[in-house]
Amino acid sequence: MWRYVVTRLLQGVAVIFLVATATFVILHLTPGNPVDILVGEAEVSRAQVAAIEHLWGFDRPLYVQYLTWLRNMARGDFGESVIRTGVPVGAMVAQAAPVTLTLNAAAFLVSIAIAVPVGILAGVRRYSVFDYVGTIGATLGVALPSFWISLMAIILFAVQLRWLPPFGLQSWTGYVLPAAVLATEQTAVIARLMRGSVAAVLHQDYVRTGRAKGLAEPAVVLRHAVRNALLPVITVLGYRMAFLLSGTIIVETVFALPGIGRLLTDSVYHLDYQVVQVIALLLAAIVVASNIATDLIYALVDPRIRVG
Amino acid sequence: MGHGRKAGGFDDIAGRTPAGGSTRREFLARAALVALAGGSAGWLPRDAEAAAKRGGTMVVSGHQEISSLSPDDAGPTVIWTAVTQIHNALLELDENFNLVPTLASSYTASPDGLSYTFKLLHGVKFHDGTEFSADDVKYTYEWYMNPANHAINANDFEGVDSVQALDRYTVRVRMKQPNAAFLAKGASTFVVPAAYHGKVGEKHYKTAPVGTGAFRLKEWIPAERTLVQAFDQHFRGRPYLDFFRVDIVPEPSVRAIAMQTGASDSAVWPLLTEDNLRFAKDPNFSTFVTITTGVNHFPINNKRPFFADKRVRQAMMHAINRQQLIDDVFKGTAVVATSHLSPAFKTYYEPNVAKYPYDTNKAKTLLDEAGWKPGPDGVRQKGGVRFSFTLTTITGDQARRPEAEIAQQHLKAVGIEVKLAEAPVATITQKLHQGEMDASLFNWTYGGSLGDPDPSVTLRSNGGNNWSHYANPKVDSLIDAGLREPDPAKRRPIYSEIQKIVAEDAPFLYLMFWNWYTIFTKRVRGLPRTAFNGPQLYRKAYQWWIG
Repeated sequence: MWRYVVTRLLQGVAVIFLVATATFVILHLTPGNPVDILVGEAEVSRAQVAAIEHLWGFDRPLYVQYLTWLRNMARGDFGESVIRTGVPVGAMVAQAAPVTLTLNAAAFLVSIAIAVPVGILAGVRRYSVFDYVGTIGATLGVALPSFWISLMAIILFAVQLRWLPPFGLQSWTGYVLPAAVLATEQTAVIARLMRGSVAAVLHQDYVRTGRAKGLAEPAVVLRHAVRNALLPVITVLGYRMAFLLSGTIIVETVFALPGIGRLLTDSVYHLDYQVVQVIALLLAAIVVASNIATDLIYALVDPRIRVG
Repeated sequence: MGHGRKAGGFDDIAGRTPAGGSTRREFLARAALVALAGGSAGWLPRDAEAAAKRGGTMVVSGHQEISSLSPDDAGPTVIWTAVTQIHNALLELDENFNLVPTLASSYTASPDGLSYTFKLLHGVKFHDGTEFSADDVKYTYEWYMNPANHAINANDFEGVDSVQALDRYTVRVRMKQPNAAFLAKGASTFVVPAAYHGKVGEKHYKTAPVGTGAFRLKEWIPAERTLVQAFDQHFRGRPYLDFFRVDIVPEPSVRAIAMQTGASDSAVWPLLTEDNLRFAKDPNFSTFVTITTGVNHFPINNKRPFFADKRVRQAMMHAINRQQLIDDVFKGTAVVATSHLSPAFKTYYEPNVAKYPYDTNKAKTLLDEAGWKPGPDGVRQKGGVRFSFTLTTITGDQARRPEAEIAQQHLKAVGIEVKLAEAPVATITQKLHQGEMDASLFNWTYGGSLGDPDPSVTLRSNGGNNWSHYANPKVDSLIDAGLREPDPAKRRPIYSEIQKIVAEDAPFLYLMFWNWYTIFTKRVRGLPRTAFNGPQLYRKAYQWWIG
C-alpha cells in the first residue's frame, strides 16, 4: 500500500515537472514579453524598454532563464509578477485561491447532493416521467454553455427578480449564482452516470439474491446496489475536479470574481510568465493529487480492490 | 487611444470590446464633436436646478485589474481612473483638452522655451497630513528622470535639465533644449510626497499611495475593487461623495447589466455597441459621445518594397471604402480619419488636407503609374513580384477582424492580395518594431492624447513607436520645430503642416477615429455639460454628487 502511494507520488512529481517545463517553453516561445504590456502606449524609448527588460532578466538566454526559474522554484521562491510589479506570485495566488476553492467546494457539494439521489431514483425508475424529466434536464445541463447560462441567470435573478447581486463579492450572496452555474454541468454529468450505473447494478445476481432473501427494496437499493454503483461515479468525480477548475475561468470572468481562473487568464493575456507558470503548476498538482486520491478512495469503498 | 494620462495601455489596441455604436447617422454627424447631454435631451443644462448634497458612494466598473496605484503605472484607463482620484499634478488636462493649473496657481514659460516657472498653491495637504511644497515637485520629477528607477514616466521629462525649488512655493524647470510638450507631459505628471515616497519606496507606494487628491485609499483588491474615501482636507474642498469605488468587471455585457440594475453608476471601459446605443437613447442615463484620439489604422511597413512607393499607399487609401467600414462594422459610430490627429483635438486639428475618397479607378491608375500591372491571376505584379502581403490582426480581436476582412475584399478589387493572420499583441508590436511584419491593424495615438500634438514617438524617423517605419526629413524637422516653439499660436501652423504632409504621404492607412461613449446613471449629478475627451471626465468626480 505505502509503496504504491510513494510510487504514484513520484510519478505525479514527474508529471508536474513536465507540465511546468512545457508551460515555460510555450510561454517563452511566444514572441514579446510582459514589459511590452507593462509599458503599454506610454511614449517610451526602446532603450527604456530594454532597460526594464534587463531588470527582469528577459534579455538572458532562454536556458538561463529556465534554470534560474527551476532553482528558485526548488527553493520555494515563486517569483514576482511583472504586471502587478513586484508583488510575490505566492501572495497573488494566496489571495485568489480562497475564492476559487469556495466556489468549487460549493459547486461540488451541491452537485453531489442533487445528482446522486436524482441519479439513483432515475436508475430505479427507468422510463418513468421522473426519468424523462431528469434526462432532459441533464442533456440541457451538459449542452448549454456555462457562459450563456451565467448571463441568463444574471438576467433572471439579478435584473428581473433582484434576489441576488449580478456580480462581485460584496457579500456571500455573490457566490450563489456562480456556484449554481458551475454545479449545473457537473450535476448533469453525475446524475446521468449514477442513473446508468444503478440501472446496470440492479441486474446483478447479488441484487436478485437480496430480493430473494426478502430484503425490503430500499435496503436492496441503498445498501447493495448503490454502494457498488458509486464506484464509476467516484472515478469520474476525481477527474471532474479538473473540469470544475477550467469551468471557473469562465464563471469567474462573467461574475467578476477575483479567483484563480481570472488570475490565470489575465496573466496569460499579459504574458506574465511567473504567474502563469505557478498557476499551471498548481493546477497540475491538483489534478495529479485528485487522481491519486481517487485510487485510494476506491480501495476504501470497494473491499475487492487492493492498491499496491 | 487617449484616455488615461499615458493614453491607455495595450488594452486599447487589444480590442476586447467593440467600439460604441449608433445607427442614427445624422445624429452622430452633429453630436460627434460635441458631447451630448442626457440621451436625446440635447443641450439642456445639467443639474441647473439641483442642489449638491453630501454623501453616498459612486461605483464605476472597468474591465482590467488595477495592478498598481502608482502614477507611474497609470497608463491603462481603469488604473488611471483610480489613481487620478488620489493624486494631482501641477497642470491637469480636462475633458475639453485644456491644461488647467491644479497644484500650480500659475506658470510662466521663458520666451526661449528653456525654462518654466510654476507658482504653487499654498496650504495643500497630502493624505498623511504633510504639506505639499516645491520639494515634493522636485523630488517627484527627479525620481522619474533618474534612469536607475526605470520609470515608465521618464520619457515625459525628456529635455529637462534640472528642477529647482526656488522657494517653498516656486519651482523652476530648466530645459536642455526646448520641449513645448513638457507642460502636457512632465508638468501633468502626478506628484507624490517626497518624505513618504522616499521612505517607503516605489514598490510599496504602488500598494499604498498618498497624494493630494480628493479621495484617499481605503481598500484595494487588485482584481476585485478599489475603494477610495473622501479626503476632508482636500485643497478644493471635501468632495460631495463619501466614497468612490472602481469595480473590476471583465465582461462588457455584465457591466451594462450592472448599470441597468444600479450596481454601477458608470462604465470606465466601453460596453457593447448595442448597449451604448440603448443607453444613449434612455433618459435614465447621461451619455457623452466623444471621439477618441487614437487612430484606427493599418500600420504598413514603409521599408517593404510594396509600400515604399507613396503612390501605392495613396492607391490603397482610395481603394478602401472607409465609410462602409464604419457603417458595417461599427454601426456608424466612428468618423473617417483625415490624417493622424483626431478631430476631437480641435486646437490642432487640420481639416484642409489631401483626402482619399473611395475611388477604385483612381486607385488602379495610381498602381499602374507605380508600375504594378495586373497579372494573369488578377493580382498586380511588378518585376515578377506579386502584390501580395500579410495583414496580422490581434488574436481574438472580434471588433477589428471584420474590418480586415472587408478591406481585404476592397484591395482585391484593385488587384492587391491580402493574406490574413493573427498574433498576440506583444508579438505584433515586437515584430513591427523589428520591421518583420508587413502590416497590422489596431488603434494608436499619434499625438493629442495628453493635450499636446507632438507625434515625435510615432512619426519621427527614429521614433520608438514608429510602427510604419516612416521617414520623412521634412516631418522630422517640423516635429523638432514644434517642440522648440513654446507659443501655442505659433505651434499651430507647424502641426497643420505635419498633418498635410502625413495626409500626402499616407505612411499608414488611417481609417477612422472611434466614438467613445461615457455613460452615467442619472443618479450621478454635477456632470459637466460638454466633453471632447470622455475618459478625462473621471477627473471631475470631486465635483459630483449622488442625487
